[in-house]
Amino acid sequence: MKKPLQDEDLVRQAKELFDDSVERLDAATLSRLNRSRHEALAELERTKPVGQWARWMPATGVAAAALVAVVVWQGVVVEGPLPVTSEVTDFEILIGEDSLEMLEDLEFYSWINPSELETDGNVG
Amino acid sequence: MSACAGVFAVSCSREQPKRATTLQREQQLNQFLAGVERRALRFAEIAVRDRDEALDLVQDAMIKLARNYAERPEEEWTPLFYRILQNGIRDWYRRQGVRNRVIVWFGRGAKADDDYDPVAQAPDPAGRSPDEQAQTAETMQQLELAVGQLPGRQREAFMLRALEGLDVAGTAVAMGCSEGSVKTHYSRAVHALRDALGEHWQ
Repeated sequence: MKKPLQDEDLVRQAKELFDDSVERLDAATLSRLNRSRHEALAELERTKPVGQWARWMPATGVAAAALVAVVVWQGVVVEGPLPVTSEVTDFEILIGEDSLEMLEDLEFYSWINPSELETDGNVG
Repeated sequence: MSACAGVFAVSCSREQPKRATTLQREQQLNQFLAGVERRALRFAEIAVRDRDEALDLVQDAMIKLARNYAERPEEEWTPLFYRILQNGIRDWYRRQGVRNRVIVWFGRGAKADDDYDPVAQAPDPAGRSPDEQAQTAETMQQLELAVGQLPGRQREAFMLRALEGLDVAGTAVAMGCSEGSVKTHYSRAVHALRDALGEHWQ
């Protein structure tokens, strides 16, 4: 008559069988496990924490961009007043007394211009 | 300029020990994974009954451990690793459930369990005769079938406690439940296996 299986015996036998099957894994499987482990370690390399200098890289980039922006903006302001001066000069010429008289006789000047050309042509 | 060089030198001197620590951690992780990978593979293989699937699950667990938990204390790695693996196995079961429903819907039927060969055709390291090897393989197959028929939580508790040798606390971490639940599931699993295998084992 068989002795009833005790819990401890069951666990011990199960563990022995499991350990045995682990030891009997074939070379191809062990090779695949080895490759998997190296891929996992490569992942560790990829997620390695960045150094102190690398941590400041974004801040340095932003500061440099801000500096460039300020320099460019100031350059635009310096060039601003120059056209204003020339506009005022043109305006003074326009409101001068002679210019207004010329505007009143605009039809005469437009008529005389071609006739002068014809005369010049005759002389020439 | 000299101040800048000084700051750089201080920073570099801080980086050196950090790099050494990282290298040391990498070696520790390599050692840990090398020690656990074979057992983890058999663990996953018994659960999913397919070696290729088991290899993929173990690789995923290794990568996730390295990516997310490498900085954790080394003594936490074992339960964390098995927790990741266990979650992968559960996801695999969910996916299989969906897949089998689709296959049944199209009337092709599920793959038969008879196709599964639990022990690879490798030379026996213990130098046993072919008859003894066949006997061991058959007993292992009985165990795997019986373990495979356990409810999921009981199977996890039995494999982690009895086959992997984790203590109750470690098993609780790996299973994501209380230590009391581990004891209950484990006890039920052992009784169920004793009922199933008692006729064959002594």
